[in-house]
Amino acid sequence: MNYVAVRQGFFFNIARFQSAQPARPCVAIMSTILKTEKLRVEYRSREFRQAAKVALNALDLEVHAGEVFGFLGPNGAGKTTTMNVLLGFVPPSGGTASLFGIDVREPIARQRIGYLPELTYYYKFLTAEELLRFYAKIFGIARREAEQRIAALLKLVELEHAARRPIKSYSKGMQQRVGLAQALINNPDLLILDEPTSGLDPLGRMKVREIIQRLKNEGKTVFFSSHELGEVETVCDRVAIVHQGELKAVGSVAEISAGHDNLEKAFLKIVGFQTASPT
Amino acid sequence: MKLSPPVILAALLALAFSLAVSLAPRIDGWSNRDKSNNVIGMMFGDGRKLFANHFFTMADVYFHSGYYPSVFDRNASEQKEIIAASHGKKESEEDEKKEIFFNQPKDWVDAFGRNFRITQHTHLEHHDEREILPWLRLAADLDPQKIETFTVGAFFLREHLNRADQAEAFLREGLRNNPDSYEILFELGRLYQESYHDLNRARNAWELGVKKFLVLPEAVRNDNKIVYEALVVNLAYLEKEAGHWPEAIRWFELGIKVSPNPAALQQQINLIHQNLAAPLPGAPGKLY
Amino acid sequence: MNKIFALAGVVIKELYRRKDFYVLFVLTALITVGAGMANFFHDDKIVRYVKDLCLLLIWVSALVIAIVTTSRQIPAEREARTIFPLLAKPVSRGQVIVGKFLGCWLATGVALLVFYVFFAIIIGSKEQHWPVLIYLQAAWMQWLMLAIVIGMVLLGSIYFAAPSSTSTISFVVVVGILLLGGHLNVIALQQPEPMQTLLAVIYYGMPHLEWYDLRDFVVYNLGSASLLATLLATLYAALWTGIFLFLAWLGFHRKSLTT
Repeated sequence: MNYVAVRQGFFFNIARFQSAQPARPCVAIMSTILKTEKLRVEYRSREFRQAAKVALNALDLEVHAGEVFGFLGPNGAGKTTTMNVLLGFVPPSGGTASLFGIDVREPIARQRIGYLPELTYYYKFLTAEELLRFYAKIFGIARREAEQRIAALLKLVELEHAARRPIKSYSKGMQQRVGLAQALINNPDLLILDEPTSGLDPLGRMKVREIIQRLKNEGKTVFFSSHELGEVETVCDRVAIVHQGELKAVGSVAEISAGHDNLEKAFLKIVGFQTASPT
Repeated sequence: MKLSPPVILAALLALAFSLAVSLAPRIDGWSNRDKSNNVIGMMFGDGRKLFANHFFTMADVYFHSGYYPSVFDRNASEQKEIIAASHGKKESEEDEKKEIFFNQPKDWVDAFGRNFRITQHTHLEHHDEREILPWLRLAADLDPQKIETFTVGAFFLREHLNRADQAEAFLREGLRNNPDSYEILFELGRLYQESYHDLNRARNAWELGVKKFLVLPEAVRNDNKIVYEALVVNLAYLEKEAGHWPEAIRWFELGIKVSPNPAALQQQINLIHQNLAAPLPGAPGKLY
Repeated sequence: MNKIFALAGVVIKELYRRKDFYVLFVLTALITVGAGMANFFHDDKIVRYVKDLCLLLIWVSALVIAIVTTSRQIPAEREARTIFPLLAKPVSRGQVIVGKFLGCWLATGVALLVFYVFFAIIIGSKEQHWPVLIYLQAAWMQWLMLAIVIGMVLLGSIYFAAPSSTSTISFVVVVGILLLGGHLNVIALQQPEPMQTLLAVIYYGMPHLEWYDLRDFVVYNLGSASLLATLLATLYAALWTGIFLFLAWLGFHRKSLTT
């Protein structure tokens, strides 16, 4: 079973899992789940007398409840830095960032979020069951409920058979599935996905799109970064484009693509990429 | 011709073995190390003497049940291994127990820290002295030329633990490693006299000790008069007990030359002369 | 507190799934049993050197476990990037520091318990005597010392990126304090200025780990140390541990994890 097929498989199961969950009542559409105001991040240069590098400059961003928000930009644009600030890995040099109205520097701001990193980083000496149990305790989920959720999630990501083996014995695909399970352990209202389709073939990417759509139907908010403009075009309610640490455009896909053939051409225009003129 | 790996391995092993056998005698000649049959001795080389000294000190530490000054507490001029100096002299052992190894605490840190250190000066007794034996055994193995190890070890085996046979074996081992040691011969003599009551063997051991001492250079003899004095005085008393008056007088006269208390020895000579001049009735050889 | 205990639980699981503890325990057991079988002058009642040797091995092993386990915690999490999914949860950096400390301390405590039970069995079988109070007191004091050491190593691991450098520096400092810490005042008096003042400052400003060594009381069967002094030493250890953890938190809570 290869990695791609496995990823496709478990995303398909996610779709089935999500459809089995009861629909949540809609939250007010326009309530702001994620907000940054004049967010600025500087990295001090290690070289003597070199100016600090500005990774983000006065970024203003809002993500509303229930929407799927795509965060786009070329490499080095500041997408990862923005996510790092939102998740509390990097302190902002200026401005503010908040989740559910709570400053991101407060740990409680992360009580209702789920985070799926691009690459799998989990304790290799723990089993999948132990890892999920650990994270459930961090979220303060009651023991009985945690056990029920763990059982359901392991079934969902098809890791029941390997639940008691240490993660170091897992394949890459299995580790990715563990990652998804841990992102959903607290039934989050906001999912932050870092390049969720990285490494997937078109079928896998389609599955991802389906999942995201289902999550949206559940009333969840999804904030994800991606290089795949095609899928962003298909699934996102709104997108933001950053380049060189600055917000260049934000709005619905239609608004941004207006005057261009598609989102890709609009993106290239916005980031200042000059296409070669046909001779 | 292709050789299989096992054949190559066997050939290499044979070559290595042959080289080792042919080179070993030559390499032995290069080394100035004392040959030691002991594994630790071979491992540490001359550094074993440092360990031997440390283990000898550990025996002293154990004798004092942990009440022992560190190198920072000791006044160098007062440093001595008490057990070596006091064996055989019970009154000095009692005096030594009153000695305080540590000065007054210098500050609150020092004062508080003494709650977690041994601060009472005690000596092992009631056969607990056996606990120092492993350290003396190790010290002897590492440095067989350290004579004190054998004399102190034999003293405790004989006097405190009633193991005269073990003490004799230990002293004989020390003598094999140090054939010219008058100190070990002195202890051996004491063992024969006090434990076995074998005066002839005691005499032989002490007389040999005196002979070994007298061939030493003058400077060395001048620095080590205490043991020589003990040898001649013990010989004197032994001959006196055996009724050999001329020999006793000869040894007492030798003792007078080196003793810190010549008057007492002169008194013994006078007593012998008196007895020779007017012997009292009763068993011959007895002086009153 | 649940989060802190959850973090501690992960550290404990890591310790007993790594081989370090088992290797050290087996080594200690083999050396102790081997030493106990040695024959000195055909006297099988000699026991103190075995106690001394076993306690020395316990001290060395416990220090190795404590320092190596603790020095790996934060740097290994950063290197393996497991710190990211952890801190993406509602847990503060202070809770991570306290959780790691508690895990390392409890794990070391479990290891100490196993070592001391082994010690009590082996020595008790030779001495036919079990001074449980003094054993408990010695184990407790050693565990307190390890709390200070773990706090110190955790602080060091915030600033030194590599676990190996944290371990090495920690070993040097701890062994230095244990061997020389109580004598620095004497050494200082023999030095010219400004070395005298510097050594005096170090002497009064450092944690006195040598207070927590009660091996002599165990080896020489001299009863227990003062209980009041033990209580004060406990408070002293709590104070120093708190200081180190606070400094660790100061260094960690604003640290960018991506550089």
